[in-house]
Amino acid sequence: MGNSVTTYATGGFNLYFHPEITPSPLEEPTFDPLMGFENGRKERVMIATEEELRSAKIPLDERDYCAHHLLAYRSCRRDNWPWAAKCHHGKHAYLNCRYDDFVIRMKEYERERRLRVKQQKKAAEE
Amino acid sequence: MNSIIKSAKLSNTWLKNNAILVTAVRNHWNKDYKPGPYPKTEAERVAAADKYGLHPSEYKPYPDDGQGCGDYPNLPMVSGDSKDPFYPWDNPELKRNFNEPMHAEFDLIREDRYDVSAKLRYPLWVFWAQFLGVMFGTFALYSLLENVKMFHPAIPRQYPSPGKKHYTFERADE
Repeated sequence: MGNSVTTYATGGFNLYFHPEITPSPLEEPTFDPLMGFENGRKERVMIATEEELRSAKIPLDERDYCAHHLLAYRSCRRDNWPWAAKCHHGKHAYLNCRYDDFVIRMKEYERERRLRVKQQKKAAEE
Repeated sequence: MNSIIKSAKLSNTWLKNNAILVTAVRNHWNKDYKPGPYPKTEAERVAAADKYGLHPSEYKPYPDDGQGCGDYPNLPMVSGDSKDPFYPWDNPELKRNFNEPMHAEFDLIREDRYDVSAKLRYPLWVFWAQFLGVMFGTFALYSLLENVKMFHPAIPRQYPSPGKKHYTFERADE
């Protein structure tokens, strides 16, 4: 927890005073995603199709790699209403997926930051 | 029947000509509500002070500038809230003694209205300093830290789109 306090409190200061080594949370990673992975990386797979999402009117900002869980959860709620609590399993699965997604995004951010630090060090040595 | 109506009309005319009989009921007003004319001579002053139950040295009418109140006394502005609650008032509900003259602005300075003579706990500038300190302090903090806002250390959400690949951190060959 102490780590997160430090990270969150100093993040804004780092972004302002050291923008060269601190990625903004609004920008995409700039390095090659496969750089440094000898065994490659598993690709993320989108399970729900565009047609399914569109017909279920899933909001645009929810159409990420967890959309199939959200789709299942919403249909379950619709089928079981008003006994929506029956869908607790689907909700849990969806929220776990969102958590894992956030962990991946945090790791990507940290990878980007460390690669930038490395790049800066290399540039300073040359 | 006709005679009854005629007599009613007669009494109506008679009441109209003697307005003093109906004014207090119809308009909630009677002549005693109106103060007398502004006292000009010393004798008039003493008479007016006596009328309002005041000592002539305490009696001071409102200035006769067209906005005054005739001979009504200009009493000190003391709200009900500022009067001693433990004094044995004749009328404790209004904190008022029997025959005590009422202030001209009595409807404003009652206990359930505005306290014009409030004794502040601290001087007024302390309250202003507190208020402005909080407001400008908050504003200063906000504007000083405008560029160093906190954020989640994570990249933007990943959405699948044609020509864009996203990866997990697991090995591809497993």
